[in-house]
Amino acid sequence: MLSPERRPSVAERRPHFLSFSSQNGCPLVVPHLAGIEDPLPESTPDKVDVLIVGTGMVESVLAAALSWQGSNVLHIDKNDHYGDTSATMTVDQTKKWVKEVNDGKFSNCYTNAKLYVSAIIGSGDRGFSSRDFGLDLAPKILFAKSDLLSILVKSRVHQYLEFQSLSSFHTYENDSFEKLTNTKQEIFTNQNLPLMTKRNLMKFIKFVLNWEEQPDVWESYAERPICEMLIEKFKLERPQVFELMFSIGLCYNMSAKTPEVLQRIRRYLSSFDVYGPFAVLYSKYGGPGELSQGFCRSAAVGGATYKLNESLASFDPSTKTATFEDGSKVTVSEKLVISPTQAPKYSQNIPEQKYEIHRLTCVVGKSCEEWFSEGESAAVVVFPPGSLKSGNQNVVQAFILGPGSEVCPQETSVWYLSTTEQGPRAEMDLDAALEAMETSIVRESSSDLENDESIVQFGPNGETMINSVKLGQSFKEYIPRERLQFLLKLYYTQYTSTPPFSVVDPSFFDINDENSKKLITGASDNGVLYTAMPSAEISYDEVVTAAKLLYEKIVGSDDDFFDLDFGDDDDVPIHNANYENAIEDDDDDEDNDVDMNFDVNRQGTTELVGEMEI
Amino acid sequence: MNSGITSIKLVLLGEAAVGKSSIVLRFVSNDFTENKEPTIGAAFLTQRVNIGEQTVKFEIWDTAGQERFASLAPMYYRNAQAALVVYDITKPQSFIKARHWVKELHEQASKGIIIALVGNKVDIVSSGGERKVAREEAEKLAEEEGLLFFETSAKTGENVNEVFLGIGEKIPLGRPDEQSGLQNGGVRITDDQRIDLASTGSGAVAASGCNC
Repeated sequence: MLSPERRPSVAERRPHFLSFSSQNGCPLVVPHLAGIEDPLPESTPDKVDVLIVGTGMVESVLAAALSWQGSNVLHIDKNDHYGDTSATMTVDQTKKWVKEVNDGKFSNCYTNAKLYVSAIIGSGDRGFSSRDFGLDLAPKILFAKSDLLSILVKSRVHQYLEFQSLSSFHTYENDSFEKLTNTKQEIFTNQNLPLMTKRNLMKFIKFVLNWEEQPDVWESYAERPICEMLIEKFKLERPQVFELMFSIGLCYNMSAKTPEVLQRIRRYLSSFDVYGPFAVLYSKYGGPGELSQGFCRSAAVGGATYKLNESLASFDPSTKTATFEDGSKVTVSEKLVISPTQAPKYSQNIPEQKYEIHRLTCVVGKSCEEWFSEGESAAVVVFPPGSLKSGNQNVVQAFILGPGSEVCPQETSVWYLSTTEQGPRAEMDLDAALEAMETSIVRESSSDLENDESIVQFGPNGETMINSVKLGQSFKEYIPRERLQFLLKLYYTQYTSTPPFSVVDPSFFDINDENSKKLITGASDNGVLYTAMPSAEISYDEVVTAAKLLYEKIVGSDDDFFDLDFGDDDDVPIHNANYENAIEDDDDDEDNDVDMNFDVNRQGTTELVGEMEI
Repeated sequence: MNSGITSIKLVLLGEAAVGKSSIVLRFVSNDFTENKEPTIGAAFLTQRVNIGEQTVKFEIWDTAGQERFASLAPMYYRNAQAALVVYDITKPQSFIKARHWVKELHEQASKGIIIALVGNKVDIVSSGGERKVAREEAEKLAEEEGLLFFETSAKTGENVNEVFLGIGEKIPLGRPDEQSGLQNGGVRITDDQRIDLASTGSGAVAASGCNC
């Protein structure tokens, strides 16, 4: 349903541009193709519909949505790089950022940044360079079935990016890393699971895929922690409960309520086998920082103007004039959207960022493939409550990326640890998790192991398979001689207005509603929309919700949020291309043949793991 | 079926109005004035070229205007195997800018990137207009920096296909599976771990809804 206030679409707003009429009457959005269609102006526009300050993930999705809807967008960032609160940074950019945090440049968003960088980075000839690393400020994973993934495909932004699979989820228990048993097949073949447990687990998985329709099962647990239901109703045991809650559901603590956890468990299970035998993907070269660049490029193609190294100095709500640090001005006819990290001085309406997320990012001198599934370069390790020496009450989540993800050089890996624990305990938990990971990786990659046949098993093709369960048991007391080399270590506290376990609340954006009573009379940022800081959520799941809410605030309705249909399946060629010699006609069918060139070499999963052609 | 199709990511750089987009449109459409239909929504244009036994598929990225305020993202240069640095032979300023872009490419792009320096608008000179950038000067830059060099007219089509064929010939071709090891050399040709998001699920739905 289109709301009556819906603004004209891109095509309607630019009637002069090439009008394609499609025979089957489906909507067709023809891109502006900035730079091809019109000569580009030399200066930023004097008047725009929307000014967006900060190129973080949410702002970038919003910019692309608005541009394709037909709004005239100016999108700026005070940094020399894209990404803002979700940037992917080099080591040098990280150093600069740490300095800014410690200078109190964004004290309501980040504090307490501590950085150690080994002399090996940036030491010229034999060391690594700053640009060999891409470190995410807010690392994220992408569920194969999620709203962001649909938008990536719809907007064609996925064509700018490369995605890889992540199937390796570990739950840390009893000083060892238990690999997640997450497919029906694995449940059946797992010899460590008693038959009864297998049956109960299968029963639960069947239920959870369709849980909403079976209120009789869960309603009495609606306000109680889910573990009670799992134990009482499904007779599951502690290891399974922990796996379901913390590895599959990615929950933060024991008190997580039943419906929201069921939702999260289903998110994982329904993402499984969409593209292959895994539920989660991540983007190469960096996470949200990379996706932000992709959406910004899409917005630029849709007509948005981009300017990095530009900060907003002030805004006059009465004349709707924004003034930049370099003295230039722009009139904003509709809305000004600002990231809390880039608000001008004397802003009075920046939302309070109540919740702490403690993060620890490390680059270590080991590639950690011991933790990855074959052919992959990433893993997630969760440390459930009570599993660490620190007696942690909240989960520590660790996301590990190896050199295949291209965020770090060979023989290194990046470890992102985070916790929603509040206050000084958080750092103790992070340190305890780091220590557990360090011990484990040094132990697992130790050369002594190769002589012990009960631990190292050989697969049918001669590949080594380390039995990680045994590792945990027999090497509990093993003290590694080797120490792990740390190339970089970064602690920081990030603040967010989004409580753990929640997505952005729509009322958040009402604070600055012009009619709202909460406004501070005379404040220079009345009427400004502030975006939310990234939450603790390790997946991208909040991004589209947040961008949509802002979009609705600006456009009046979210009906045409990414209402795009480019009408072409692949690269629809320029028609009438008529080449005699070297250049042959492009051919759709042929293209499809090439696209269907699936990778058939792994476990007979012929259908879904494809070679990305475009 | 996949008898050696190699995709080449090619990025365009150059001052505004030197005709970089026109060169590409000429190349992909072979029609300068009338048939200016860009590839819908893709944000990059594609064209296939046969070089010997090989088919090379050019994936041509436009700056989308992001270069105007020095705001090109690292993503733009990433894994580009080729670049066109375009200037206007009647505008000296655009040649200075071209030098800047060559420098930028050496800093930002993959080590093995093939750069073609392209002096556009030779048709103006042929029809009596004044040349302001000497051919020798550009040749000298090309030699110093190891660039391919062409003078073209996007308007008449002169030398345009040669630019792309010249790049195609310089790219190390071969069966894609032999090339995956080139990653460390800075040039990606295929990547087995890569997943095509449009190959199933919501992607399939989006693509099948309308087959215009």
